[in-house]
Amino acid sequence: MPVAFPSLEFFQVLQREVAAERERFSRLGFFDTTFGVRVIQDGESADFTLAFEVFDCVRVADGIDPGVDFLIEGPLQAWKGMLDNIHELGAADTEHSLNTLTHFGESLKVRYDDPDGHDKLYRFAESVQEWLDLSARVDFGYSDGTTPPAPRDVARRAAR
Amino acid sequence: MSYLSTTDFADDPAFVDRFKRNMKGDLDLSWMKVERERPTCRPLNERRGLTFRDLDVQGYGFSEMPELIRGNRSFAPRGATMPEGLPDLQADVNRKSDVWAYNVEGYYEEAMTRQWNTTTDIPWADLDRAELPEEIGKAYAQLLTFLTEVEMIATDVPAKWMGRLNADFFEVKNFIATQAMDEARHAEVFRKRALTTGWGLMRASLHNEHNLKFLRDADSFAESSLTLHLQAEGMVLTLFRFSEYIAPTEADKKLFRLVMQDEARHVGYGMQHLKWVMDNAPDKREIIHRHLDEAENFVFGAGYATEVLEPFIILAGKGLKKENIEQGVRITNAFQLKQTEEYFERLAKCGLPERRERSRLWKFVELNRQAVANLAA
Repeated sequence: MPVAFPSLEFFQVLQREVAAERERFSRLGFFDTTFGVRVIQDGESADFTLAFEVFDCVRVADGIDPGVDFLIEGPLQAWKGMLDNIHELGAADTEHSLNTLTHFGESLKVRYDDPDGHDKLYRFAESVQEWLDLSARVDFGYSDGTTPPAPRDVARRAAR
Repeated sequence: MSYLSTTDFADDPAFVDRFKRNMKGDLDLSWMKVERERPTCRPLNERRGLTFRDLDVQGYGFSEMPELIRGNRSFAPRGATMPEGLPDLQADVNRKSDVWAYNVEGYYEEAMTRQWNTTTDIPWADLDRAELPEEIGKAYAQLLTFLTEVEMIATDVPAKWMGRLNADFFEVKNFIATQAMDEARHAEVFRKRALTTGWGLMRASLHNEHNLKFLRDADSFAESSLTLHLQAEGMVLTLFRFSEYIAPTEADKKLFRLVMQDEARHVGYGMQHLKWVMDNAPDKREIIHRHLDEAENFVFGAGYATEVLEPFIILAGKGLKKENIEQGVRITNAFQLKQTEEYFERLAKCGLPERRERSRLWKFVELNRQAVANLAA
């Protein structure tokens, strides 16, 4: 049964995928940050908080907790661009890594109050990217009724 | 061999007699009778393991460490008893506010778990499939040459200071040991990538090397940390993110994500150190400003040097045609603005909000704006 994006269920499935990949995340190292995700559609926003501690995703919740290190925000279309690419290829390609999409805030924006919190996005850059790449394994559809493209059979650093 | 023992042990009757008695089983055991504080240390979080923070107890800990370390001039690890006659190592840095940072023990633990390996963690074989056009390949090789140069000095600087810090600053010494390893790995990865572009190493940078010399020759650890961790690495962190943004292959993207992680950790230490200085030695404010005045002059010379700036423009614009160059200039200008903004944001957060007004870097930013405006015209 596909889950919807954006939804709490989507992030709960990703949380389970992180738990299933404990060895891989352990190799990447301590991953201690709490951040927000905001998906904007038709003027409404769907907000989520993701908390990572040690090697695990320890909490996902609706809403943005006060004091998150940073918030990744963008229209559904921008999130779809990234997730479609990951779903199709197994991991983000050069045009769709989170850093590329957020760097100048053209597609997704990173908001923050504290530059030290902001820098955590980069201190844990590879962990955050691999967490997003795990969405390649998730059976999901978008809230606008569309679905991501089917996986392509390509040889690459797949998250599958 | 400049340091000689004052004792010739083989001819010292007391030493030889003690040795003989030990070997007959007549043990001295005076070291065992020393009164000690018995610590109880357990992992606060078992998933994380036993960390330095878990050892922050009694006289072994760092929280109660005084500002001036008068008691230990030797290699004695903090908390050990010190017999008479230990050597005076004449450490250059004996003041806690000169080196300490909030959460330095946490940065160390993070560094240890997030180590990676240039040889095995980068998908080098994938690069065989990536053929870069000549101008892109050369521009990338020039950028990698610059980065190799930068990272070599970034290895030397923490290594230079490690042995000059008082042994009681154990957690800081360990952290900068991880930094030296991180930077050595960065120099390795950029050198390897430069050679795998097929163009090899290009031209060393005159202006950049003067900036690196300034960094290396700082008069104190505090000055060195300010310019290395916070200013230089802060700017290099934004540069690595920009480099990830313009990187031509997925392997290159991964490379820059891995180096940016390490760099962001060093910047974190630099920020938390400057915060510590501002909280505990606020009289240093003017010294910091004066050092930054010159550091910013050097960094402008290095960052805007021809062999540094032009590769960015070519890589960002994806070529050498007029339209590529124009696009590259716009993107590079946006990057430099971002780099400057983030630098001042960090300083403000550390307690130096007035730096934004005092700094001459804005004049350079204005030069940028004019250049882009002329381009549009």
